[in-house]
Amino acid sequence: MESVTQEIPLEHFLIVSGILFSLGVYGVLARRNAVLILMSVELMLNAVSINLVAFAVYTAPELFVGIIFAIFVITIAAAEVGLALGIILRIYRNRATANVDEVDQLKW
Amino acid sequence: MIGMSDAWLLPVLPGTAFVVLVLFGNYLPRKGDWLAILAIFASFVLFFPVAADLTDALAKTGERFAGVSNSITWFQVGDVFQVRLGVFVDQIAVVMLAVVTFVSLMVQVYSLGYMKGDARYGWYYAVMSLFAAAMLTLVLADNFLLLYFVWEIVGICSYLLIGHYHERRSAAEAAKKAFITTRIGDLGFLIGIILLWRSVGTFNISETFRAASAGEIPTNYLTASVLLLFLGAMGKSAQFPLHVWLPDAMEGPSPVSALIHAATMVVAGVYMVARTLPLFQAAGDVALPLVTGVGLITVLMSATMGLVMSDIKRVIAYSTLNSLGLMIVALGAGLTTAAMFYLFVHAFFKALLFLAAGSVYHATDELEVEQMGGLGRKMPLTAITFFLGALSMAGIVPLAGFWAKDDILRASFDNQNIAVFLLLAVSVVLTALYMTRLVLLIFTGEPRNRRAHERAHDGPPAMSLPLVALAVLTVVGGFVAFDAVGKALGFPGGIGEFVFVGGEPESFAVNGGVMALSIVLAVGGVIGGLYIWGGKALPARRIAGAFPWAYRILRNKYYMDDIYQALINRVVLTFSAVVAWFDRRVVNDTGVNGTGAVPRITGYVLKFHETGKLPNYALGIAVGVIVLAVVAFAKVA
Amino acid sequence: MTGTELIFYLMAAAAVGGGLGVVLARNVVYAALFLLLSLLAVAAFYILLATEFLALVQLLIYAGAVIILLLFVLMLTRARDVPAALDGPQKPVAAVAGLALLGLLLTAVAGTTWPRDVGTITRVPFESIGDALFRKWAVPFEVASLVLLVALVGAIVLARPEEGE
Repeated sequence: MESVTQEIPLEHFLIVSGILFSLGVYGVLARRNAVLILMSVELMLNAVSINLVAFAVYTAPELFVGIIFAIFVITIAAAEVGLALGIILRIYRNRATANVDEVDQLKW
Repeated sequence: MIGMSDAWLLPVLPGTAFVVLVLFGNYLPRKGDWLAILAIFASFVLFFPVAADLTDALAKTGERFAGVSNSITWFQVGDVFQVRLGVFVDQIAVVMLAVVTFVSLMVQVYSLGYMKGDARYGWYYAVMSLFAAAMLTLVLADNFLLLYFVWEIVGICSYLLIGHYHERRSAAEAAKKAFITTRIGDLGFLIGIILLWRSVGTFNISETFRAASAGEIPTNYLTASVLLLFLGAMGKSAQFPLHVWLPDAMEGPSPVSALIHAATMVVAGVYMVARTLPLFQAAGDVALPLVTGVGLITVLMSATMGLVMSDIKRVIAYSTLNSLGLMIVALGAGLTTAAMFYLFVHAFFKALLFLAAGSVYHATDELEVEQMGGLGRKMPLTAITFFLGALSMAGIVPLAGFWAKDDILRASFDNQNIAVFLLLAVSVVLTALYMTRLVLLIFTGEPRNRRAHERAHDGPPAMSLPLVALAVLTVVGGFVAFDAVGKALGFPGGIGEFVFVGGEPESFAVNGGVMALSIVLAVGGVIGGLYIWGGKALPARRIAGAFPWAYRILRNKYYMDDIYQALINRVVLTFSAVVAWFDRRVVNDTGVNGTGAVPRITGYVLKFHETGKLPNYALGIAVGVIVLAVVAFAKVA
Repeated sequence: MTGTELIFYLMAAAAVGGGLGVVLARNVVYAALFLLLSLLAVAAFYILLATEFLALVQLLIYAGAVIILLLFVLMLTRARDVPAALDGPQKPVAAVAGLALLGLLLTAVAGTTWPRDVGTITRVPFESIGDALFRKWAVPFEVASLVLLVALVGAIVLARPEEGE
């Protein structure tokens, strides 16, 4: 493995990842449309992937577990999106709404 | 060779009969009554080798004979607590064994005729067998715990048998009364046993005697324990004030009354006191006089009440109370020999009286003396045997009762207990009076109830043979007091030579003055009875008319039952109302229902956080994660 | 500043901007497109981090398939852009939570000393990733493929038309 000079310090990547993650959290909590919530989740997953890869490359390249992890994250995220959208479609079919505030049958 | 160590066989045989009868009784021919009788007969037969072994041992060791014991460990808890099963055979035990096996046998044979056709015939014989087993174990028990155990079993059998006709309300009530009253005594008994165990460390009776005589038990402690033990005897042997159950116990069948409430169970208390008399003697000065006092009160109360009661069995029951009191008085004066002698003969004539009364009831369906009269001609055998039993009870020479009663009188005179002697003399007169009254009202005079008179007849052989056997013993049984008779039977001498516990053998002695006095009193009583109740019984009516208040008190049993009922109503029921309130309001409403209500209310309040909305749940997760992160961060930082 | 830094800041701005767009946009389709922007920026980050393979995977899967899927479902659920209806009543709390998290993360980053000499990254050869993926991480790989299968079957079952439709 070869070393490449990098003018960008590790913290920068971490900060970006943190910002993206926080935005994702805000989105999950604040948005009402189910699909938008899903998009926010994707945002969070991406932030995490950046984090993992950055750490792998900067601090433990011999192991590069972070990279492998990121591959799996992407895979699982894709699967999850497919399934979640299926659920959303089904709910939309039954209740004619994609608004999560209106799907509260499990209420007390 | 069967010896004293094998005495445990005597209770085991009827006990086995009980088990078999309970399990298979319904399938046996005649419901298994032959099995019960066979078992008790076998016990009776086994008694003789045991007695022979005892006399041999007595002959060898003489005065120092202290009984033979044989025991096994029942269970053990570490080194602290051990319960043993064992038998202890000495002279008084042998006397009791004779009485219990023989009278049980007679009564069970009698029941063949009396209880014939009864709906619960098999169960009756089963309980009779259990009773015999328990009573024999009681006699033979060598430790207090075993004694208490079978004491209770005997009480249960009494309850079951008194309540044999439990469809009748009065019988069920009587059974309950008997059990509860004796239970009060038993509580004291148990506490006494536990106290003794705490002090001595073992339940074994002989060990306890040794400890007491060696002075290892503090006197006050011993006195308290002994009085508590006596409480148990008071309950079982119906001493004042726990005597109220015995008259009511007559609700049971007559054979039951004969066996349990005359000859055996009620004398269990007397036997227990006789057995533990060394403890009483080692206790403080208040113990024995208290015993005597209780006995005297019982004697006088019962004798006076016997004068006015109108139910045959109740009168005989009061006479039993009288006799029991007499035995207790004798024990209180330390006269073990006299007490056991009286117990021995009393079993025979009292059982005889009850069985004969049963015969009358069986024939005429009547128990009230007002409805009888002139039955002597129609049922001569019953009449004669009853008459003999009554004379023996009254203490007429030369019947057995006379020798025994005279022995007590003489002994109390010799011991300078003048007050006791005088009161006993009074009771002799009273006894003679009421027994005569009974005989006269039932068997002589004009029949007062035509129908009863028509139906009167002597019973079948199953019922008559025991009457005859007991009558014979009533006549000759007293002569065992004489040395010559005793030696002829193989004993070292008369009963005085044989039955002595911790003391010395006594030859049968005669105090001429006392004997003459007792003869005069008894005969005088009989003549007085003849006068008052003979013929048209006019003098009886005059006396009743002259002292109506006395008559009323006696008829109402000195209002003892009313006192008890008032006590129960005021004290017991009030207390139980309080307890019931506590149980209902505190335990149930607050405790149980309340404990149920708490989750319900909490759940109701908490359920509002389940909004069903996804964003809310996500918020929960996010907040949780942030808080955890802050905490972890703070720790690290 | 060097070219790398410039690119980095540009891509960072794009990512953050895209993120802001996702969570704040009034129109759902615009939100989806902002997400696309963000994902593309992330792919650029991967390239900056010398893991081109991952960038390619990101583009293919995320930017390619996931966004398309999202747009399709948006179409199927006829998400209308009703102005205020896209944000729930939790908005203020959510903002607080988001800011708190951000604060935490930034504090963590700022307060840590990094072990390696910052300024060098190591390019991981493509072959070793593949090697590791099929040797050391073979089991998770297979499990991931199972997950994909399950997701596939599940999505079909969930989304198929009901009987009689």
